[in-house]
Amino acid sequence: MTGHATYIGKRLLWTLPTLFLVALIVFFIVRLIPGDPVQVILGDQATEQEIAVLRAQYGLDKPIPMQFALWMGQVLQGDLGNSITNNQPVMSLLLSRFQVSATIVLIAVTLATLIAVPAGLLAAWKQNTTLDVAIVAGATLLMSVPSFWLGLILLLIFGLKLAWLPVYGYVPFSENPVEALRYMILPAATLILIEVGVLTRMARASAMEVLRLEYVTHARAKGLSNRQVLLKHVLPNAFAPTWTMIGLVLGGLLGGIAVLETVFTLPGLGRLLVDAIFARDYPVVQGCLLFTALIYVIVNLIVDLCYPLFDPRVSAS
Amino acid sequence: MMLSKKLLLSCLFAGALLGQANMAHAQDSTLKIRINADIRSSDPGVNRDANTDMVVMHVVEGLVGYKEDSTIGNMLAESVDISDDGKVYTFKLRDGITFHNGAPLTAEDVLFSWKRYTDPANAWRCLPDVNGQGLAHVVNVAAPDPKTVVFTLEKPAALFLATLARTDCAGTGIYHHESVDASGKWVKPIGTGPFKFENWVSNQYIELARNENYKALSTPRDGMVGDKTPLVDKVRFVIIPDDSATKAALLSGGIDIISDISNTDVAELSANKTVKLDKAQGMGLNVFLFQTRDPLLSDVRIRRALELSLDYPEIATVVTEGQAEAGHSVIPRPSAFFKTAQAEIPSRNIEEAKKLLAEAGYNGQPIEWITSKQYPALFDTAVLAQAMASEAGINLDIKVLDWATLQDHYNNGTYQAMSMTYSARLDPSLSFDMMSGNKDKQPRKVWDNPEALELLAKSKEVSDPAARQEIFDKLETMYRADVPMISLYSGVKTAAVRPAVQGYKGWAVGQPRAWGVSVEAD
Amino acid sequence: MKRLRINGILGALLLGIVGGLALISVFWTPYDPMKVSLRERLNPPSLIHWLGTDEFGRDVLSRIMTGAAESLVVSICTVAFAVLFGTLIGLFAGYVRGLADRLLMVVSDALLAFPGTLLALGIMVIVGPNKYGIIVALGIAYTPSVLRIVRASVLSAREREYVEASRVIGNSELVTMFRHVLPNCTAPLVVLATSMFGWVVLAESGLSFLGLGVPPPAPTWGNMLASARPHMERAIWLGFAPGLCIAMTMLGVNLLGDALRDRFDPRMEDR
Repeated sequence: MTGHATYIGKRLLWTLPTLFLVALIVFFIVRLIPGDPVQVILGDQATEQEIAVLRAQYGLDKPIPMQFALWMGQVLQGDLGNSITNNQPVMSLLLSRFQVSATIVLIAVTLATLIAVPAGLLAAWKQNTTLDVAIVAGATLLMSVPSFWLGLILLLIFGLKLAWLPVYGYVPFSENPVEALRYMILPAATLILIEVGVLTRMARASAMEVLRLEYVTHARAKGLSNRQVLLKHVLPNAFAPTWTMIGLVLGGLLGGIAVLETVFTLPGLGRLLVDAIFARDYPVVQGCLLFTALIYVIVNLIVDLCYPLFDPRVSAS
Repeated sequence: MMLSKKLLLSCLFAGALLGQANMAHAQDSTLKIRINADIRSSDPGVNRDANTDMVVMHVVEGLVGYKEDSTIGNMLAESVDISDDGKVYTFKLRDGITFHNGAPLTAEDVLFSWKRYTDPANAWRCLPDVNGQGLAHVVNVAAPDPKTVVFTLEKPAALFLATLARTDCAGTGIYHHESVDASGKWVKPIGTGPFKFENWVSNQYIELARNENYKALSTPRDGMVGDKTPLVDKVRFVIIPDDSATKAALLSGGIDIISDISNTDVAELSANKTVKLDKAQGMGLNVFLFQTRDPLLSDVRIRRALELSLDYPEIATVVTEGQAEAGHSVIPRPSAFFKTAQAEIPSRNIEEAKKLLAEAGYNGQPIEWITSKQYPALFDTAVLAQAMASEAGINLDIKVLDWATLQDHYNNGTYQAMSMTYSARLDPSLSFDMMSGNKDKQPRKVWDNPEALELLAKSKEVSDPAARQEIFDKLETMYRADVPMISLYSGVKTAAVRPAVQGYKGWAVGQPRAWGVSVEAD
Repeated sequence: MKRLRINGILGALLLGIVGGLALISVFWTPYDPMKVSLRERLNPPSLIHWLGTDEFGRDVLSRIMTGAAESLVVSICTVAFAVLFGTLIGLFAGYVRGLADRLLMVVSDALLAFPGTLLALGIMVIVGPNKYGIIVALGIAYTPSVLRIVRASVLSAREREYVEASRVIGNSELVTMFRHVLPNCTAPLVVLATSMFGWVVLAESGLSFLGLGVPPPAPTWGNMLASARPHMERAIWLGFAPGLCIAMTMLGVNLLGDALRDRFDPRMEDR
């Protein structure tokens, strides 16, 4: 097991320079962008004094390398600074927005997986029958549709024409669970539909691979029932690559969710980043990108580390 | 005897019940107004933006304030006496005014507030306009008696009172020294205004409570002055950044007032029976700017040709969905100084435009036009200009930038032509000021005609309205001859309120006012 | 194999339609896609304007066609960028190994840690909103994926006998790399490139939707969708067409990608 432990240790260690590089890239990219956050806030009647005082308040008058050093120092203490736009602490902004994005993403991916894996297995089991073709066709179609377009269409139908569901906004679960659900249905449904396509195909492909393998035919020869074969041999091995896919999907979703949040006007992390970039709110952009990168790295780490659990053949080497 | 006693008792009882009911009724009245972002601080003039000013000015009041027609009226001052040489302003304070903590308003409080306003560390927006760098130089402030404050200026300044009244300078609102704690740290504003600062839940709302002891002026509500009696018990400024969510909140009753809805929403909401609309002419300006130092555009004939190739009434109608009227002057329509000379709008004349272009030797070279999608009007006007100008053979090449980058180009003058929008200027001098000046010192200014600058400086010293109108008319002629900028229209601010709200009225400066407004309890 | 052929044919057909529209638009469109016509704003589809007009009175069909050309050109160039640089760097890293490889992987991982869209977003705002900016930005965002695949192929290939043989004969490392190792990567690379093409189309339209892609008034499917949003209730057709086109392209790419993947994967049995 020490092999495993050293593996984890080494992986964790190598994430550090990656994260530092991310921080560096983030910091400098943001400052290369033309435009001044202070000007954006103060508007067209700003006086030179106002601008100078506000810039000093946010340390924007210091040389850039010094700003970076100060920021890194803060970050290592867990302080991401304050938003220039509304003076709120970046960390609490990030966390509250992250809750919104994460809730939707987790619900969607979980439900999508619950639908996709059985569907993929079924398709693989009934390979080349009409059912299989139908499932694959459906999945391919679903994953081809751009998420924001699907969202707009669903919004149009269920929100505007039929007026069954609300069209904009968000209610947190803590405030009102029933209302929260109503606001969540459309965006989650959009995500689920798209991801089901991707995951079903993945599950089917890996299930098909496993079904071909000799030890499965062996198992069947031994007299195990179809169900047992499916559950004990095919499922876990088919699940492994799907599990990796889930990791990538989760990590990627947090980044790509900005468009969906725009369509459904959800106060999530994606929109926070996009708005902050437009407002040149450096602390928020930096904090957000760093945070997203961290999540992505952690998710992938967990996925990598759990992989051996699903596939005993894979050793952590 | 018994009967009348019983009668009396029952009357008293009924009265008490009714009184109780009334109190309960009044306790329920909360007016909910949406703001699109959290305020930055509660300290007037310090660390501010438009939303911050608006909230703060419900709590504090200044010596003077702006009226609807953008002239200056008295607020905390009973009278303002200006000496013959124009250098000494004597303010007599009104009687019986008390702060929210019960203390009476005295001249000392004015001095206390003024000291904080003029502290350079606080970066008060109007500081350059009172310390000699801009419009006026206040050399001394004194309180000869508890009811009198005397400001002495170095030279006469026509716009001194206007500066004190500016809403983006918190109207120079007066607050009590207990607003600051023993160590000098700001606590919360204790002013004389119709509402008290109660509660600020960051990123959610700011709540104000009625000032029961508010002593109102006898003149009717007018801009930031006049009768400001609070009719509701609480005002809650609800923070909703997103426009669509705001609309939903209004329709569901979560908020009572949206003070500024987008032009595309006007059509939808006016059809909606459950919502009332209120229109107010704004005093901002949507314009096209030219860089007169650009090699191509330095030729006034080309600028004039562009001006003649556009159809202004059409642009205004299309872009604002019929809400605003075209206005070709630097001075916005609602201004008291907007008269005949300002109201003229040139007719579209493609032939004349082509002639001028030929004279100037223009051969279809592309002119780069920068704009942004941040404000839909900026983009829409650019697209229309491109289409219309092409009929005269002018080739406009539109580049869409994000807002901050556009602002950057504006501030540094690094563009050939651009779409831009100016926030409200309440005095014509300020309107001309915003776009003219020394281009070397302030690259964002578009007009540096020396004669015009001289006239402009004069307009700030002269107080007589007729004399000022003459100066502005002359400036208008020069402006239209030089075409450093093309004015398109002043936007209309449309507010949407729920039917339960009575008495709400928008006005030129655009910020909502919660006084004089009542709402039926739910 | 029959199903594969159907996939391949269908995919190629869809892409062919889109490509065809794009190609035609270079020479001819029903109307000038940029011509503003204020009298004809927001007209529903009719015989004059098959797909209706937008909020400036411009013909939607013409804009879709031009948008096709824009989107396709940007996507092809981006994929070319990513494949070119990813392959070169991946070959180098996989072959050389050691510290250089490690460092390159750290940089690559750092770039991968940014969701592709956001990295492109950041670069876009610096470079400014133009076609070339998007190509560079998205290209950089997708290079790490190519890099990884190529590097993995190289790592597995370099131990093979024909590589040893090549060295024994006396070929230089460079020759060995290009003539023997590189062809080994072709299969996964082709499959990846096909998928990537789809991702890039999606990413570009997503960026345009957010306001950071190829800027208006030039039509791309993404910014057409973005402009359609405020008018959704009055003019549904505005949002339908561009989205449908993106979906069609993606479907074509996916089907074709499937066919290619199955063709290149030697383990697939004939079913």
